[in-house]
Amino acid sequence: MALQVLNFKFKTEAPKTIAKKWSHLGVTGSGDLEVLMEQKELGGAVTAKVVTPVKGFDAVWEKMLGKFVNDCHVGDVSIEINDDNATPIVVYMRLRQALAEANAKEAE
Amino acid sequence: MKSYKELQNASFYDANARERAIAMVDKGTFTELLGPLDRFTSPHLPVLGTAVEFDDGTVTGVGLIGKHPVFVVSMEGKFIGGAIGEINGGKMVGTIRLAEKTAAAIKKAHPDEYAERRPMVVISFETGGVRLHEANAGLLAHAEVMDAFQDCRKKLPVIAVVGSKVGCFGGMGFVAAATDIIIMNEEGRIGLTGPEVIEQEMGKEEFDASNKALVYRTTGAKHKYIMQDCNYLVEDNCGAFHEALKEVAGLPMDKIEGMRRIGSPAAVAEQMKLVKLIGDMQPKDSMDMWKHYGNEDPAALPEMTTAEFLKVVKRRPRN
Amino acid sequence: MEFKSTRTEWDTLKKDTQERMKAAAPFVKEGKIVDQKDTVALLEAVIKPFDKVNIEGNNQKQADFLAKCLCQVDPKKIHDLHMVQSVLTLPEHLDVFEKGIAKKLDMSFSGPQAGRIAEFLREGKLELGAIHTYLELYGRYFVDLTPKVALVAATMADKDGNLFTGFSTEDTPAIVEATKFRQGIVIAQVNKIVDKLPRVDIPGDWVDFVIQSPKPFYIEPLFTRDPALITDAQVLKGMMAIKGIYGEYGVQSLNHGIGFDTAAIELLLPTYGEELGLKGKICSHFILNPHPTLIPAIETGWVQSVHSFGGELGMEDYVAARSDVFFVGPDGSMRSNRAFSQTAGHYAIDMFIGGTLQIDPYGNSSTATATRVAGFGGAPNMGCDAKGRRHSSGAWLKCGEEYGIKDQLFGPELHRGKRLVVQLAETFREKLAPGFVEELDAFALAKNANLAIEPVMIYGDDLTHIITEEGIAYLHKCRTMEERTAAIRGIAGFTEVGMKADPKETQRLRELGIIKTAADLGIDISRANRSMLAAKNVHNLVEWSHGLYNPPAKFRNW
Repeated sequence: MALQVLNFKFKTEAPKTIAKKWSHLGVTGSGDLEVLMEQKELGGAVTAKVVTPVKGFDAVWEKMLGKFVNDCHVGDVSIEINDDNATPIVVYMRLRQALAEANAKEAE
Repeated sequence: MKSYKELQNASFYDANARERAIAMVDKGTFTELLGPLDRFTSPHLPVLGTAVEFDDGTVTGVGLIGKHPVFVVSMEGKFIGGAIGEINGGKMVGTIRLAEKTAAAIKKAHPDEYAERRPMVVISFETGGVRLHEANAGLLAHAEVMDAFQDCRKKLPVIAVVGSKVGCFGGMGFVAAATDIIIMNEEGRIGLTGPEVIEQEMGKEEFDASNKALVYRTTGAKHKYIMQDCNYLVEDNCGAFHEALKEVAGLPMDKIEGMRRIGSPAAVAEQMKLVKLIGDMQPKDSMDMWKHYGNEDPAALPEMTTAEFLKVVKRRPRN
Repeated sequence: MEFKSTRTEWDTLKKDTQERMKAAAPFVKEGKIVDQKDTVALLEAVIKPFDKVNIEGNNQKQADFLAKCLCQVDPKKIHDLHMVQSVLTLPEHLDVFEKGIAKKLDMSFSGPQAGRIAEFLREGKLELGAIHTYLELYGRYFVDLTPKVALVAATMADKDGNLFTGFSTEDTPAIVEATKFRQGIVIAQVNKIVDKLPRVDIPGDWVDFVIQSPKPFYIEPLFTRDPALITDAQVLKGMMAIKGIYGEYGVQSLNHGIGFDTAAIELLLPTYGEELGLKGKICSHFILNPHPTLIPAIETGWVQSVHSFGGELGMEDYVAARSDVFFVGPDGSMRSNRAFSQTAGHYAIDMFIGGTLQIDPYGNSSTATATRVAGFGGAPNMGCDAKGRRHSSGAWLKCGEEYGIKDQLFGPELHRGKRLVVQLAETFREKLAPGFVEELDAFALAKNANLAIEPVMIYGDDLTHIITEEGIAYLHKCRTMEERTAAIRGIAGFTEVGMKADPKETQRLRELGIIKTAADLGIDISRANRSMLAAKNVHNLVEWSHGLYNPPAKFRNW
């Protein structure tokens, strides 16, 4: 019944942290999620905390987040996710959007 | 994130709570209070296995319109239907109380400039009312908000903005009615019992919730505007809401008081007159009322754009 | 050899019908009109036990009043009917089995009644002949499943029995022709009886009785998708489809399966398709119901022609005003026709693209679930390579040229094309139901419902492409089953099927062009969002149509 809390740590080659100190994107709507990214000194690693009502997808989360970190070469970033039944593609797209947002210059 | 300029042109109906909060005040002036980084999530949802959100589904903060500090509450319908629980209810109450305190401080510091520096409360409603997972705290928040509204009366305006997907229903329908001014776009809806609940309780013959045209002409902004339950009907873009708020920010307090629907003997008398009229008329549909107020072809009104509608519509006369 | 016939009577069917008509005579008023209150008595007069009976149940239009009346006949008088009808949508379609009026069923599609069919099968209340495709069932109407009595629905009739079926013609001509020309009896419920019809869709001498129903026939706006509900992931798949398949093959004639995935594609044509310079090169001819989401593409000049299986509520005026595009009669209104549209869908188009629920590692795909006998409708006729096709086109030839086992099948010299059959799948759907499974639920259903064959919608040998958010698998290029399975695993994401992918093999298939990811196709994922859609909500569609599209109440938010 209770929410699942999953914690992961990843490392990738040639990691880069985000431009902003912190950045937030998304809404915990049904089938969706919110992502909070923060700069953090982690020796180049990425930590991820996922809070989700869905059970039994720990391995999928780990692979999904690992793929994102590897694809985008992210490091020294803490990622926190509140999820409500998002599918892997939604997770991946939101992570990509959140990263773009975290590196975006403020537009006029 | 869209730029401020893009946001002004973007649909208010499609905008999320944070985008609405940023866009309703002047460019670059919004500061969020208790934002995602503060991680003020509901203490009740995790034990029930329900997903949480860092802002608990309501964005609160302060910005400016001209010299007027604007205290913003903006609800997110995608998170548990925008329902009000302990944390987001508390954030809502706290924001209104802060506005009231700020008003007192400004009055003291700038007694001669109060009119141009007068703060306001702006609430973008998108909610079905109480969050059932934490219903007692949610109900309490409704009462505390109403109480805080009373304390703002005649000091600073409290504005309801309704124009998002979920609409404004349940207890928050009462709360919206208790504000000074209501601003809506055509897509906005206000009611007490939601259409689905009416259908469930009274049957499809009484109210067919799948008939969206019926739902809109009963709870939607055009009907509310004709009946004077909505003060400003604007186009569906964030900029239009910003413009309407600019206008409201400069109105004298006594004029604002006169735009209320409830809260004075005169307003009560006006509402009672309406109750009697409905008893006499026994209308079968909102359109009967539109016709009564002089709209000869009521069926044409829903099909009109907001601009066309505003040009031709006849509204219930106020005393 | 003595040339002597073994029977002397050759018009027993006719005589039987004449007898029944005599029993029905007291209920006929003027011309062929029967009063609605006499309907049950009429049915009891003309139907006999063990008859094959058709209740016109189309994908959309329903002879709902006649279906209700058939449920009210006395099961002591009328029982063991053999129902032959394409779609079972209404509760009454199964109530006849519950009441013992009917016993056997041959059908195509059951939608909302799918669970009850499975239940009745288990309880022995119903014997299932077969689950057909539409064309297959229509074919059998003319072979061994000819109805003795057909209960059809029309928009209007005159007193002589002429019918106007108009926009919602659908299955009516196929049913009436089969029934009447085997000496059967045709009863039509109509919304209105008029003196003069706008046009005659079914001649009056093929119709025996007309009854004005108490309410217009039931019809559901099945093909309307609200653009507001299209997701970013669907936009991504749509962009991949347009660039990686429509544009790659130059697909000019096609059918879109029902769903939000294809609605997204329709709304991406005027934006993303335009940006890729594909106007005129793809999507000129559709076999498709009048989808409201196609309006922006029609308005911007993408679409030359659309022929429709059925109508779609609210699209009547728009379609009538676009007679260059749709098939419109001399009276100014469209005529749909499912039999012809399905024939076109089988033979005359280059591509079928649609969604599915499950795909297995061999490429078989199915919408069956373990406890619902839902059937297929028309998808298998369009979602297959028509063996009888003998005309060529660019897309068809290119796909055939790429066929991995072409040489083994036809030798190295022969030119033979191949229909593009494309399935759009999400690796996980809502509530994280996997789109790829090691064994289709169709196997469990076959066991549960005692079916002779697993109800597979599209067989692996017909499927040419799968699109998921992970990439496109060009399955027809594969040379072996191992390669095909590897290609499927390579785009199956984090499902149990996808987890077994060998990254090295996936990489090899990418190099061969058998798998292409969004990045391989040059698509920027961050652009894949709803802002790409030409219409974002139903209101926008009305605006695109210049007010001609009149959406049903349930799709309005004004």
